[in-house]
Amino acid sequence: MKRRLFIATSVAALTGCGLNNKVNQSGFHQVLEKTQWLNEAVIGTRGSARLYTDADVDREFRTNGFDTPADSKYQQMAADGFRSYKLAVDGEVEHPQAFSLRELRAVQSLTQVTRHDCVEGWSAIGKWSGVPLAAFLRLVRPTARARYVVFHCMDRSPDNVPYYESLNMVQAAHPQTLLALDLNDKPLDADHGAPVRLRVPTQLGYKSAKWVGRIELAADYKNLFGGKGGYWEDNGYEWYAGI
Amino acid sequence: MDATAGGAPQAKAHDGAPAPLEYRHTFSTRVTHWLSALALLVLVTSGLQIFNAAPHLDASDKSNPARRVLSIEGGQTPDGRPLGQVVLFGHAFTTTHWLGYTDDGMGGEGPRAFPGWLTLPGYQSLADGRLWHLFFGWVIVLCGAWYMAAGFARKDLQLLVLRPSDIPKLWPMQAYYLRLRPEPPAHGKYNPLQKAAYTLVLFVFAPLIVLSGMALSPGIDAIANPITVVFGGRQFARLWHFVFMLALIGFTGVHLALVASTGVVNNLRSILLGTYRPGKYEGTGP
Repeated sequence: MKRRLFIATSVAALTGCGLNNKVNQSGFHQVLEKTQWLNEAVIGTRGSARLYTDADVDREFRTNGFDTPADSKYQQMAADGFRSYKLAVDGEVEHPQAFSLRELRAVQSLTQVTRHDCVEGWSAIGKWSGVPLAAFLRLVRPTARARYVVFHCMDRSPDNVPYYESLNMVQAAHPQTLLALDLNDKPLDADHGAPVRLRVPTQLGYKSAKWVGRIELAADYKNLFGGKGGYWEDNGYEWYAGI
Repeated sequence: MDATAGGAPQAKAHDGAPAPLEYRHTFSTRVTHWLSALALLVLVTSGLQIFNAAPHLDASDKSNPARRVLSIEGGQTPDGRPLGQVVLFGHAFTTTHWLGYTDDGMGGEGPRAFPGWLTLPGYQSLADGRLWHLFFGWVIVLCGAWYMAAGFARKDLQLLVLRPSDIPKLWPMQAYYLRLRPEPPAHGKYNPLQKAAYTLVLFVFAPLIVLSGMALSPGIDAIANPITVVFGGRQFARLWHFVFMLALIGFTGVHLALVASTGVVNNLRSILLGTYRPGKYEGTGP
Protein backbone atom coordinates (compact mmCIF):
# COMPACT_ATOMS: atom_id res chain seq x y z
CA MET A 1 0.00 0.00 0.00
CA LYS A 2 2.82 2.34 0.81
CA ARG A 3 4.10 1.96 -2.66
CA ARG A 4 0.73 2.72 -4.20
CA LEU A 5 0.45 5.77 -2.03
CA PHE A 6 3.94 6.80 -3.10
CA ILE A 7 2.96 6.51 -6.73
CA ALA A 8 -0.29 8.34 -6.25
CA THR A 9 1.36 11.22 -4.42
CA SER A 10 4.22 11.34 -6.93
CA VAL A 11 1.78 11.62 -9.80
CA ALA A 12 -0.08 14.35 -7.98
CA ALA A 13 3.12 16.18 -7.12
CA LEU A 14 4.66 15.92 -10.54
CA THR A 15 1.65 16.65 -12.68
CA GLY A 16 -0.13 19.11 -10.43
CA CYS A 17 -0.38 22.34 -12.34
CA GLY A 18 0.50 24.69 -9.51
CA LEU A 19 3.62 22.76 -8.64
CA ASN A 20 4.67 22.64 -12.26
CA ASN A 21 4.85 26.38 -12.45
CA LYS A 22 7.08 26.42 -9.41
CA VAL A 23 9.28 23.72 -10.90
CA ASN A 24 9.75 25.86 -14.00
CA GLN A 25 11.57 28.54 -12.06
CA SER A 26 13.32 26.14 -9.74
CA GLY A 27 16.93 25.13 -9.64
CA PHE A 28 15.87 21.62 -10.61
CA HIS A 29 14.50 22.92 -13.91
CA GLN A 30 17.93 24.39 -14.60
CA VAL A 31 19.45 20.98 -13.92
CA LEU A 32 17.03 19.48 -16.44
CA GLU A 33 18.09 22.08 -19.02
CA LYS A 34 21.73 21.16 -18.53
CA THR A 35 21.10 17.60 -19.80
CA GLN A 36 21.52 19.02 -23.32
CA TRP A 37 25.21 19.65 -22.74
CA LEU A 38 25.68 16.00 -21.77
CA ASN A 39 23.77 15.01 -24.91
CA GLU A 40 25.89 17.35 -27.00
CA ALA A 41 29.08 15.91 -25.50
CA VAL A 42 27.98 12.35 -26.26
CA ILE A 43 26.28 12.82 -29.64
CA GLY A 44 27.72 16.10 -30.89
CA THR A 45 27.87 16.76 -34.61
CA ARG A 46 29.28 13.65 -36.19
CA GLY A 47 28.39 11.40 -39.10
CA SER A 48 25.99 12.36 -41.86
CA ALA A 49 22.27 12.32 -42.20
CA ARG A 50 21.00 9.48 -44.35
CA LEU A 51 20.57 10.39 -48.02
CA TYR A 52 17.32 9.34 -49.67
CA THR A 53 16.30 9.10 -53.31
CA ASP A 54 13.89 11.22 -55.36
CA ALA A 55 11.27 8.47 -54.96
CA ASP A 56 11.14 9.13 -51.20
CA VAL A 57 10.38 12.84 -51.54
CA ASP A 58 7.18 14.37 -50.14
CA ARG A 59 5.78 16.45 -53.01
CA GLU A 60 3.62 18.39 -50.58
CA PHE A 61 6.22 19.21 -47.96
CA ARG A 62 4.58 19.88 -44.61
CA THR A 63 4.94 23.40 -43.16
CA ASN A 64 5.10 24.35 -39.52
CA GLY A 65 6.17 27.25 -37.36
CA PHE A 66 5.28 30.89 -37.84
CA ASP A 67 3.13 32.27 -40.63
CA THR A 68 4.81 33.46 -43.79
CA PRO A 69 5.96 37.07 -43.32
CA ALA A 70 3.10 39.39 -44.25
CA ASP A 71 4.85 42.75 -44.02
CA SER A 72 4.93 44.96 -47.09
CA LYS A 73 8.70 44.78 -47.45
CA TYR A 74 8.66 40.98 -47.71
CA GLN A 75 5.58 41.01 -49.94
CA GLN A 76 7.23 43.49 -52.34
CA MET A 77 10.38 41.37 -52.52
CA ALA A 78 8.30 38.28 -53.15
CA ALA A 79 6.26 39.99 -55.88
CA ASP A 80 9.52 40.92 -57.54
CA GLY A 81 10.82 37.33 -57.46
CA PHE A 82 13.26 38.39 -54.69
CA ARG A 83 15.38 40.32 -57.21
CA SER A 84 15.87 43.05 -54.60
CA TYR A 85 16.74 40.55 -51.83
CA LYS A 86 20.22 40.74 -50.35
CA LEU A 87 21.59 38.37 -47.72
CA ALA A 88 23.74 40.53 -45.46
CA VAL A 89 26.61 38.96 -43.51
CA ASP A 90 28.14 40.92 -40.68
CA GLY A 91 29.60 40.69 -37.19
CA GLU A 92 32.81 38.76 -36.67
CA VAL A 93 33.80 38.50 -40.34
CA GLU A 94 36.70 39.93 -42.26
CA HIS A 95 34.55 40.63 -45.33
CA PRO A 96 31.10 41.87 -44.34
CA GLN A 97 29.03 41.86 -47.50
CA ALA A 98 25.58 41.29 -48.98
CA PHE A 99 24.70 38.61 -51.51
CA SER A 100 21.95 38.72 -54.10
CA LEU A 101 20.27 35.42 -54.93
CA ARG A 102 22.26 35.25 -58.16
CA GLU A 103 25.50 35.74 -56.29
CA LEU A 104 24.49 33.05 -53.78
CA ARG A 105 23.71 30.56 -56.52
CA ALA A 106 27.14 31.24 -58.02
CA VAL A 107 29.02 30.31 -54.81
CA GLN A 108 28.56 26.53 -55.01
CA SER A 109 25.60 24.22 -55.27
CA LEU A 110 24.78 21.03 -53.44
CA THR A 111 21.62 18.93 -53.76
CA GLN A 112 20.61 16.46 -51.07
CA VAL A 113 17.47 14.45 -50.33
CA THR A 114 17.20 14.35 -46.55
CA ARG A 115 14.62 13.77 -43.87
CA HIS A 116 13.36 16.67 -41.82
CA ASP A 117 12.60 15.63 -38.23
CA CYS A 118 10.31 17.99 -36.38
CA VAL A 119 10.63 18.31 -32.61
CA GLU A 120 6.90 17.56 -32.48
CA GLY A 121 7.61 14.06 -33.73
CA TRP A 122 6.68 14.01 -37.43
CA SER A 123 9.13 13.59 -40.32
CA ALA A 124 9.07 14.55 -44.00
CA ILE A 125 11.55 14.08 -46.82
CA GLY A 126 12.56 16.85 -49.19
CA LYS A 127 15.07 17.44 -51.96
CA TRP A 128 17.05 20.49 -51.02
CA SER A 129 19.52 22.45 -53.13
CA GLY A 130 21.60 25.39 -52.10
CA VAL A 131 24.93 26.67 -50.91
CA PRO A 132 26.86 24.62 -48.36
CA LEU A 133 27.21 26.97 -45.42
CA ALA A 134 30.88 25.99 -45.11
CA ALA A 135 31.62 27.27 -48.64
CA PHE A 136 29.69 30.45 -47.93
CA LEU A 137 31.62 31.09 -44.71
CA ARG A 138 34.94 30.67 -46.50
CA LEU A 139 34.00 33.68 -48.65
CA VAL A 140 33.20 35.98 -45.75
CA ARG A 141 36.05 34.73 -43.55
CA PRO A 142 34.97 34.52 -39.91
CA THR A 143 37.42 36.15 -37.52
CA ALA A 144 39.16 34.15 -34.79
CA ARG A 145 36.59 35.49 -32.31
CA ALA A 146 33.64 34.03 -34.20
CA ARG A 147 32.13 31.04 -32.34
CA TYR A 148 28.53 31.10 -33.54
CA VAL A 149 26.68 31.73 -36.77
CA VAL A 150 23.42 33.52 -35.99
CA PHE A 151 20.56 33.51 -38.49
CA HIS A 152 18.22 36.50 -38.28
CA CYS A 153 14.92 35.75 -39.96
CA MET A 154 12.19 37.85 -41.54
CA ASP A 155 9.28 36.12 -39.76
CA ARG A 156 7.89 37.08 -36.39
CA SER A 157 5.98 35.28 -33.65
CA PRO A 158 2.33 36.21 -33.04
CA ASP A 159 3.54 38.61 -30.33
CA ASN A 160 5.99 40.15 -32.81
CA VAL A 161 9.27 38.62 -31.65
CA PRO A 162 11.67 37.95 -34.54
CA TYR A 163 12.74 34.35 -35.26
CA TYR A 164 16.44 33.65 -35.01
CA GLU A 165 18.65 30.61 -34.67
CA SER A 166 22.31 29.85 -34.11
CA LEU A 167 24.83 27.11 -34.84
CA ASN A 168 28.33 26.69 -33.52
CA MET A 169 31.18 26.63 -36.01
CA VAL A 170 31.34 22.82 -36.10
CA GLN A 171 27.64 22.52 -36.88
CA ALA A 172 27.93 25.33 -39.45
CA ALA A 173 30.87 23.61 -41.15
CA HIS A 174 29.09 20.24 -41.37
CA PRO A 175 29.06 19.34 -45.09
CA GLN A 176 25.29 18.79 -45.06
CA THR A 177 24.44 22.17 -43.50
CA LEU A 178 22.92 24.15 -46.35
CA LEU A 179 21.65 27.61 -47.13
CA ALA A 180 18.81 26.08 -49.11
CA LEU A 181 17.40 27.92 -52.12
CA ASP A 182 15.37 25.17 -53.79
CA LEU A 183 12.94 22.55 -52.52
CA ASN A 184 12.01 19.65 -54.80
CA ASP A 185 13.70 21.23 -57.84
CA LYS A 186 11.87 24.55 -57.55
CA PRO A 187 12.91 27.79 -55.87
CA LEU A 188 11.58 27.82 -52.30
CA ASP A 189 8.03 29.12 -52.16
CA ALA A 190 6.98 31.70 -49.60
CA ASP A 191 5.56 29.15 -47.15
CA HIS A 192 8.74 27.09 -47.16
CA GLY A 193 11.03 30.00 -46.31
CA ALA A 194 11.72 31.85 -49.58
CA PRO A 195 14.15 32.94 -50.69
CA VAL A 196 16.75 31.42 -48.32
CA ARG A 197 16.36 28.97 -45.47
CA LEU A 198 18.74 26.96 -43.42
CA ARG A 199 18.78 23.15 -43.62
CA VAL A 200 20.47 21.26 -40.79
CA PRO A 201 19.51 17.61 -41.37
CA THR A 202 21.52 16.38 -38.37
CA GLN A 203 19.34 18.33 -35.92
CA LEU A 204 15.65 18.84 -35.24
CA GLY A 205 13.62 21.04 -37.56
CA TYR A 206 13.52 24.20 -35.48
CA LYS A 207 17.23 24.67 -36.24
CA SER A 208 16.39 24.86 -39.96
CA ALA A 209 15.34 28.51 -39.84
CA LYS A 210 13.19 29.82 -42.70
CA TRP A 211 13.19 33.30 -44.33
CA VAL A 212 16.81 34.05 -43.43
CA GLY A 213 17.41 37.77 -43.92
CA ARG A 214 20.76 38.34 -42.31
CA ILE A 215 23.64 36.24 -41.00
CA GLU A 216 25.71 37.44 -38.09
CA LEU A 217 28.89 35.84 -36.84
CA ALA A 218 29.19 36.27 -33.12
CA ALA A 219 31.49 35.48 -30.24
CA ASP A 220 28.45 34.54 -28.16
CA TYR A 221 24.65 34.51 -28.35
CA LYS A 222 24.02 35.44 -24.72
CA ASN A 223 23.45 39.13 -25.51
CA LEU A 224 20.97 38.41 -28.31
CA PHE A 225 17.20 38.46 -27.62
CA GLY A 226 16.45 36.00 -24.79
CA GLY A 227 20.07 34.89 -24.60
CA LYS A 228 19.53 31.18 -25.30
CA GLY A 229 20.60 31.22 -28.95
CA GLY A 230 17.28 30.98 -30.77
CA TYR A 231 13.59 31.82 -30.68
CA TRP A 232 12.51 28.34 -29.52
CA GLU A 233 15.50 28.11 -27.22
CA ASP A 234 14.29 31.32 -25.56
CA ASN A 235 10.97 29.48 -25.13
CA GLY A 236 12.25 26.43 -23.29
CA TYR A 237 13.65 24.18 -26.04
CA GLU A 238 17.26 23.01 -26.00
CA TRP A 239 19.94 24.81 -27.98
CA TYR A 240 21.46 21.41 -28.78
CA ALA A 241 18.78 19.93 -31.04
CA GLY A 242 20.53 16.70 -32.09
CA ILE A 243 18.10 14.66 -29.98
CA MET B 1 15.12 -9.70 -6.71
CA ASP B 2 18.41 -10.97 -5.43
CA ALA B 3 18.97 -12.88 -2.24
CA THR B 4 22.31 -12.89 -0.56
CA ALA B 5 21.27 -15.92 1.47
CA GLY B 6 20.04 -18.05 -1.42
CA GLY B 7 19.52 -21.77 -0.87
CA ALA B 8 16.29 -23.69 -0.46
CA PRO B 9 13.24 -21.81 -1.58
CA GLN B 10 10.76 -23.41 0.78
CA ALA B 11 9.73 -21.93 4.08
CA LYS B 12 12.00 -22.73 6.95
CA ALA B 13 9.69 -22.45 9.89
CA HIS B 14 6.73 -24.78 10.07
CA ASP B 15 6.69 -25.11 13.82
CA GLY B 16 4.65 -21.94 14.42
CA ALA B 17 7.48 -19.55 15.19
CA PRO B 18 8.13 -17.03 12.40
CA ALA B 19 11.34 -17.56 10.50
CA PRO B 20 14.08 -15.02 11.24
CA LEU B 21 14.57 -12.06 8.90
CA GLU B 22 16.93 -12.68 6.05
CA TYR B 23 19.00 -10.01 4.29
CA ARG B 24 17.85 -10.22 0.72
CA HIS B 25 18.19 -6.98 -1.31
CA THR B 26 21.54 -5.23 -1.34
CA PHE B 27 21.86 -1.46 -1.08
CA SER B 28 22.53 -1.07 -4.81
CA THR B 29 19.44 -3.14 -5.68
CA ARG B 30 17.21 -1.06 -3.40
CA VAL B 31 18.56 2.30 -4.60
CA THR B 32 18.43 1.42 -8.30
CA HIS B 33 14.94 -0.07 -7.82
CA TRP B 34 13.46 3.12 -6.40
CA LEU B 35 15.34 5.47 -8.70
CA SER B 36 14.20 3.40 -11.69
CA ALA B 37 10.62 3.38 -10.40
CA LEU B 38 10.68 7.17 -10.14
CA ALA B 39 12.38 7.48 -13.54
CA LEU B 40 9.86 5.13 -15.15
CA LEU B 41 6.99 7.20 -13.77
CA VAL B 42 8.54 10.42 -15.09
CA LEU B 43 9.46 8.86 -18.44
CA VAL B 44 5.95 7.53 -19.06
CA THR B 45 4.18 10.76 -18.09
CA SER B 46 6.62 13.04 -19.93
CA GLY B 47 6.58 10.62 -22.87
CA LEU B 48 2.81 10.96 -23.13
CA GLN B 49 3.32 14.75 -23.07
CA ILE B 50 5.73 14.37 -26.01
CA PHE B 51 3.27 12.05 -27.81
CA ASN B 52 0.61 14.77 -27.50
CA ALA B 53 2.65 17.08 -29.76
CA ALA B 54 2.13 14.69 -32.70
CA PRO B 55 -0.59 12.29 -31.53
CA HIS B 56 -0.19 9.59 -34.14
CA LEU B 57 2.09 6.61 -34.77
CA ASP B 58 2.99 5.42 -38.27
CA ALA B 59 4.64 2.17 -39.34
CA SER B 60 7.00 4.08 -41.66
CA ASP B 61 10.21 6.10 -41.79
CA LYS B 62 8.78 9.53 -42.67
CA SER B 63 5.26 10.40 -41.53
CA ASN B 64 2.75 8.60 -43.70
CA PRO B 65 -1.00 8.67 -42.94
CA ALA B 66 -1.47 5.60 -45.17
CA ARG B 67 0.63 3.59 -42.68
CA ARG B 68 -0.99 5.03 -39.56
CA VAL B 69 -1.43 2.51 -36.75
CA LEU B 70 -2.72 4.76 -33.99
CA SER B 71 -3.97 8.29 -33.74
CA ILE B 72 -5.75 10.07 -30.93
CA GLU B 73 -7.83 12.87 -32.33
CA GLY B 74 -9.84 15.73 -30.90
CA GLY B 75 -12.57 17.61 -32.68
CA GLN B 76 -16.27 18.29 -32.74
CA THR B 77 -19.35 16.30 -33.63
CA PRO B 78 -21.47 17.70 -36.51
CA ASP B 79 -23.75 19.33 -33.92
CA GLY B 80 -20.84 21.07 -32.26
CA ARG B 81 -20.21 18.90 -29.21
CA PRO B 82 -16.67 17.93 -28.25
CA LEU B 83 -15.44 14.63 -29.68
CA GLY B 84 -12.39 12.59 -28.71
CA GLN B 85 -11.48 9.54 -30.79
CA VAL B 86 -8.87 6.82 -30.73
CA VAL B 87 -8.26 5.43 -34.22
CA LEU B 88 -6.50 2.07 -34.08
CA PHE B 89 -5.75 0.33 -37.40
CA GLY B 90 -8.48 2.44 -39.00
CA HIS B 91 -11.15 1.60 -36.41
CA ALA B 92 -12.45 4.64 -34.54
CA PHE B 93 -13.47 4.46 -30.87
CA THR B 94 -15.17 7.36 -29.15
CA THR B 95 -13.21 8.36 -26.05
CA THR B 96 -14.46 11.90 -25.37
CA HIS B 97 -13.34 13.25 -21.94
CA TRP B 98 -10.75 10.47 -21.63
CA LEU B 99 -8.57 10.63 -24.75
CA GLY B 100 -8.52 13.02 -27.69
CA TYR B 101 -10.72 15.64 -26.13
CA THR B 102 -9.91 15.75 -22.46
CA ASP B 103 -8.40 17.46 -19.39
CA ASP B 104 -6.06 20.20 -20.58
CA GLY B 105 -4.15 20.28 -17.29
CA MET B 106 -5.34 23.81 -16.60
CA GLY B 107 -8.75 23.11 -15.13
CA GLY B 108 -10.63 22.82 -18.43
CA GLU B 109 -10.95 20.48 -21.39
CA GLY B 110 -9.73 20.72 -24.95
CA PRO B 111 -8.44 18.77 -27.94
CA ARG B 112 -5.56 16.82 -26.46
CA ALA B 113 -4.51 13.19 -26.87
CA PHE B 114 -3.61 12.15 -23.31
CA PRO B 115 -5.21 14.02 -20.40
CA GLY B 116 -3.31 16.48 -18.23
CA TRP B 117 -3.55 14.25 -15.17
CA LEU B 118 -1.48 11.63 -17.03
CA THR B 119 1.19 13.91 -18.48
CA LEU B 120 4.21 15.74 -17.16
CA PRO B 121 3.84 18.66 -17.02
CA GLY B 122 0.05 18.62 -16.76
CA TYR B 123 -0.46 21.52 -19.14
CA GLN B 124 0.67 21.28 -22.76
CA SER B 125 4.44 21.88 -22.93
CA LEU B 126 6.49 19.85 -25.34
CA ALA B 127 9.63 21.75 -24.28
CA ASP B 128 9.26 20.79 -20.60
CA GLY B 129 8.16 17.24 -21.43
CA ARG B 130 11.38 16.83 -23.41
CA LEU B 131 13.54 18.23 -20.61
CA TRP B 132 12.07 15.76 -18.08
CA HIS B 133 12.22 12.87 -20.54
CA LEU B 134 15.82 13.35 -21.64
CA PHE B 135 17.08 13.86 -18.07
CA PHE B 136 15.32 10.81 -16.62
CA GLY B 137 16.32 8.78 -19.67
CA TRP B 138 19.89 9.16 -18.41
CA VAL B 139 18.79 8.33 -14.85
CA ILE B 140 17.18 5.03 -15.84
CA VAL B 141 19.98 4.02 -18.20
CA LEU B 142 22.63 4.65 -15.52
CA CYS B 143 20.50 2.87 -12.88
CA GLY B 144 20.04 -0.09 -15.19
CA ALA B 145 23.79 -0.26 -15.86
CA TRP B 146 24.54 -0.03 -12.13
CA TYR B 147 21.98 -2.74 -11.26
CA MET B 148 23.17 -5.10 -13.98
CA ALA B 149 26.87 -4.59 -13.19
CA ALA B 150 26.32 -5.13 -9.44
CA GLY B 151 24.13 -8.18 -10.03
CA PHE B 152 26.58 -9.67 -12.47
CA ALA B 153 29.51 -9.10 -10.10
CA ARG B 154 27.59 -10.86 -7.28
CA LYS B 155 26.82 -13.72 -9.73
CA ASP B 156 23.17 -13.07 -8.91
CA LEU B 157 22.02 -11.80 -12.24
CA GLN B 158 22.93 -15.08 -13.87
CA LEU B 159 20.36 -16.87 -11.66
CA LEU B 160 17.66 -14.57 -13.03
CA VAL B 161 18.17 -15.59 -16.65
CA LEU B 162 15.60 -17.95 -18.16
CA ARG B 163 17.22 -21.21 -19.25
CA PRO B 164 15.92 -23.92 -21.62
CA SER B 165 15.32 -26.22 -18.61
CA ASP B 166 12.88 -23.63 -17.19
CA ILE B 167 10.62 -23.66 -20.22
CA PRO B 168 8.68 -26.87 -19.38
CA LYS B 169 8.01 -25.40 -15.92
CA LEU B 170 6.44 -22.19 -17.17
CA TRP B 171 2.91 -23.60 -17.45
CA PRO B 172 2.99 -25.50 -14.12
CA MET B 173 4.05 -22.25 -12.46
CA GLN B 174 1.24 -20.33 -14.16
CA ALA B 175 -1.16 -23.12 -13.09
CA TYR B 176 -0.05 -22.55 -9.49
CA TYR B 177 -0.82 -18.81 -9.76
CA LEU B 178 -4.22 -19.67 -11.25
CA ARG B 179 -4.82 -22.03 -8.30
CA LEU B 180 -5.03 -25.02 -10.61
CA ARG B 181 -2.14 -26.61 -8.72
CA PRO B 182 -1.52 -26.62 -4.97
CA GLU B 183 2.28 -26.23 -5.07
CA PRO B 184 4.61 -24.43 -7.46
CA PRO B 185 6.96 -26.69 -9.47
CA ALA B 186 10.38 -27.22 -7.90
CA HIS B 187 12.67 -24.34 -8.81
CA GLY B 188 15.82 -22.57 -7.70
CA LYS B 189 16.08 -19.14 -6.17
CA TYR B 190 13.74 -17.66 -8.78
CA ASN B 191 10.68 -19.34 -10.24
CA PRO B 192 10.47 -19.91 -14.01
CA LEU B 193 7.85 -17.22 -14.68
CA GLN B 194 9.83 -14.75 -12.62
CA LYS B 195 12.89 -15.57 -14.68
CA ALA B 196 10.94 -15.21 -17.92
CA ALA B 197 9.58 -11.81 -16.86
CA TYR B 198 12.93 -10.43 -15.66
CA THR B 199 14.80 -11.83 -18.64
CA LEU B 200 12.34 -10.16 -20.98
CA VAL B 201 12.42 -6.83 -19.13
CA LEU B 202 16.16 -6.61 -18.45
CA PHE B 203 17.52 -8.11 -21.65
CA VAL B 204 14.82 -7.43 -24.23
CA PHE B 205 12.44 -4.58 -23.43
CA ALA B 206 14.86 -2.31 -21.55
CA PRO B 207 17.52 -2.32 -24.30
CA LEU B 208 14.86 -2.04 -27.00
CA ILE B 209 13.09 0.93 -25.42
CA VAL B 210 16.41 2.74 -25.10
CA LEU B 211 17.45 1.91 -28.67
CA SER B 212 14.07 2.87 -30.16
CA GLY B 213 14.28 6.18 -28.28
CA MET B 214 17.79 6.76 -29.61
CA ALA B 215 16.51 6.03 -33.13
CA LEU B 216 14.36 9.18 -32.88
CA SER B 217 17.40 11.43 -32.52
CA PRO B 218 18.57 12.96 -35.81
CA GLY B 219 22.07 13.32 -34.32
CA ILE B 220 22.28 9.61 -33.41
CA ASP B 221 20.69 8.69 -36.74
CA ALA B 222 23.55 10.53 -38.47
CA ILE B 223 26.11 8.50 -36.51
CA ALA B 224 24.35 5.11 -36.43
CA ASN B 225 21.64 4.97 -39.07
CA PRO B 226 21.23 1.16 -38.69
CA ILE B 227 19.58 1.75 -35.29
CA THR B 228 16.78 3.65 -37.02
CA VAL B 229 16.67 1.21 -39.93
CA VAL B 230 16.20 -1.92 -37.77
CA PHE B 231 13.06 -0.43 -36.25
CA GLY B 232 11.68 0.28 -39.73
CA GLY B 233 12.48 4.00 -39.80
CA ARG B 234 11.99 6.98 -37.53
CA GLN B 235 8.20 6.98 -37.23
CA PHE B 236 8.18 3.21 -36.85
CA ALA B 237 10.75 3.56 -34.05
CA ARG B 238 8.36 6.03 -32.38
CA LEU B 239 5.64 3.35 -32.63
CA TRP B 240 7.96 0.67 -31.18
CA HIS B 241 9.00 3.02 -28.38
CA PHE B 242 5.30 3.33 -27.46
CA VAL B 243 4.73 -0.45 -27.67
CA PHE B 244 7.75 -1.16 -25.43
CA MET B 245 6.36 1.39 -22.96
CA LEU B 246 3.09 -0.56 -22.88
CA ALA B 247 5.05 -3.78 -22.27
CA LEU B 248 6.93 -2.20 -19.35
CA ILE B 249 3.68 -0.85 -17.91
CA GLY B 250 2.23 -4.36 -18.19
CA PHE B 251 5.23 -5.77 -16.31
CA THR B 252 4.85 -3.08 -13.65
CA GLY B 253 1.16 -3.93 -13.24
CA VAL B 254 1.85 -7.64 -12.68
CA HIS B 255 4.75 -6.73 -10.41
CA LEU B 256 2.53 -4.52 -8.23
CA ALA B 257 -0.23 -7.17 -8.13
CA LEU B 258 2.31 -9.70 -6.84
CA VAL B 259 3.72 -7.18 -4.33
CA ALA B 260 0.19 -6.77 -2.96
CA SER B 261 -0.79 -10.46 -3.00
CA THR B 262 2.33 -12.20 -1.63
CA GLY B 263 2.77 -10.46 1.70
CA VAL B 264 2.76 -6.75 1.04
CA VAL B 265 4.50 -5.70 4.29
CA ASN B 266 7.20 -8.32 3.91
CA ASN B 267 7.75 -7.38 0.26
CA LEU B 268 7.93 -3.67 1.00
CA ARG B 269 10.27 -4.21 3.93
CA SER B 270 12.63 -6.19 1.76
CA ILE B 271 12.83 -3.58 -0.99
CA LEU B 272 13.06 -0.66 1.46
CA LEU B 273 15.32 -2.11 4.19
CA GLY B 274 16.62 -5.25 2.50
CA THR B 275 15.25 -7.76 5.04
CA TYR B 276 12.71 -10.44 4.13
CA ARG B 277 11.01 -13.03 6.31
CA PRO B 278 10.89 -16.38 4.46
CA GLY B 279 7.45 -17.93 4.54
CA LYS B 280 4.70 -19.44 2.47
CA TYR B 281 5.17 -17.03 -0.46
CA GLU B 282 8.86 -17.87 -0.84
CA GLY B 283 9.83 -17.94 -4.48
CA THR B 284 6.39 -16.91 -5.77
CA GLY B 285 6.59 -13.16 -5.14
CA PRO B 286 7.20 -10.11 -7.32
